[in-house]
Amino acid sequence: MTEKPTIEQYLKNIEARDFQPFKCVDCGTVIAPPSGTCYSCGSNKMEWTRVSGKGTLVSFTVIHIASDEFQEEAPYFIAIVELEEGTRVTGRLQGFDPLKPEEVGIGTLVVLDYETGKSGKTYLAFRPE
Amino acid sequence: MPLKNTQIVSAAQTKFGSLDMSLREMFAEAVDKATVEAGVPKSEIQAAFVGTFIPEMLVHQGHTAPLLLDYAGLRGLPATRHEAACASGATALRAGIMAIESGFYDTVLVAGAEKMTSVTTNEATEALAAAADDQFESSVGLTFPGVFAIAAVAHMQKYGTTEEDMARVSVKAHKNASTNPLAQFQKEITLEKAMTPRYVAWPLKLFDCSPISDGAAALVLTSTEKAKQYTDDSVSVIGTGQASASMNLADRRELTSFEASVVASKNAYKMAGLSADDMDFAVVHDCFTIAEIIASEDIGFFEPGKGAEAVKEGVTALDGDRPINPMGGLKAVGHPVGATGVKQASVVYKEIIGAAGPNQIAKHDTGIMHNFGGTGASCVVNIFRRSDA
Repeated sequence: MTEKPTIEQYLKNIEARDFQPFKCVDCGTVIAPPSGTCYSCGSNKMEWTRVSGKGTLVSFTVIHIASDEFQEEAPYFIAIVELEEGTRVTGRLQGFDPLKPEEVGIGTLVVLDYETGKSGKTYLAFRPE
Repeated sequence: MPLKNTQIVSAAQTKFGSLDMSLREMFAEAVDKATVEAGVPKSEIQAAFVGTFIPEMLVHQGHTAPLLLDYAGLRGLPATRHEAACASGATALRAGIMAIESGFYDTVLVAGAEKMTSVTTNEATEALAAAADDQFESSVGLTFPGVFAIAAVAHMQKYGTTEEDMARVSVKAHKNASTNPLAQFQKEITLEKAMTPRYVAWPLKLFDCSPISDGAAALVLTSTEKAKQYTDDSVSVIGTGQASASMNLADRRELTSFEASVVASKNAYKMAGLSADDMDFAVVHDCFTIAEIIASEDIGFFEPGKGAEAVKEGVTALDGDRPINPMGGLKAVGHPVGATGVKQASVVYKEIIGAAGPNQIAKHDTGIMHNFGGTGASCVVNIFRRSDA
């Protein structure tokens, strides 16, 4: 946990179902997805951290027409979630019917989970708490 | 301080749509229309600023500025490509404006082009997706329309905007384009048709999305001193603004407004010494219907959350008080990415000089154009005014 965090390792951690954001060494801001600079204090010193996995649904969509890589998974939800620690990430949304998106409420409390798609990739995902 | 020295003396576009012309042929057609056919000899052009987005993926061609200039009979000139996704054209234009304003050149060409129907729809979609953040957004399965759908959902939640409100933007675009001979779609559609539930990224449907298009556009900028040499109908560039934002939508605190649009338009208004109330009309980047609604708020035409109502009440129609996209916008005219920003300037130019034919708006002294790139990570806003206004 002491090595300088990299984007490559960030993505590998998600693939291994072990999400770890960056954290600014100087001011403690939790940063995900990774950034080269902390927008709270300007520092470029980062370390790994962990989060509770709890968050709030900020907005979402249901993808019907996807790129070739993901078309077999469509329709699927994509959500922006604000984590308890303040940062926002993009991931999949579980626990709702993609053909009934009107049933999804913005502001819903969600928890971090993972989803391995037909593409073989593992994504960050969230489900209602 | 308003810009003082830059004039547009000609502007033109090819037809947009699925064209039987290659990238360089379209480019040359637009250049000829904006130069020799408009009273500006090619020998007068001293440099060229060219917007293309992603010809590497679409036509397997990089280094497009000299290639395109060569075919258009301008071999030898300084030729530079500008790329900012869908704002490529307007960043090329801004570079041209700075070149004239600084006094470095007297007369320059600004042009943009994109050939998109040379690949399959899926390949074109893939190429467009390169304008979003590949590692953190596209890799999860987020698409380009998906990003705007997320903004739409946030706008619906916060302000009560509806799918029908968005569909009205599409109906207006098609209506305006129905009398524009250069538009990809020259046919009116009903609200019912615009509401056809063929979802691309819920709540955005087929008719909320701009199409895949081929096309080119070009214009000539010159100094105030030289403008009269070419035409009596010149248009002054009085303000310009550009801003960037995070690529990643998740990194933006506000999803119902695009911050680069707000900053770029504030800077452009400040430079022009004018406000949104001084604008007679606007040409905004309606890659998706929700993008027009949000842009109309971001450039200050309407308060945040009031954009949809303005469309509903006809305020933004051709004969409304604040017309927006009077020739039909990206939605119905088409969106050959690199050409779009230059085409938008061409629309403002034509409206201001009174050459917009059946699409001529009544009050047209001062207009604003808003061109943004990708998912709003780049934005250029320019303000133009009749030289004698």
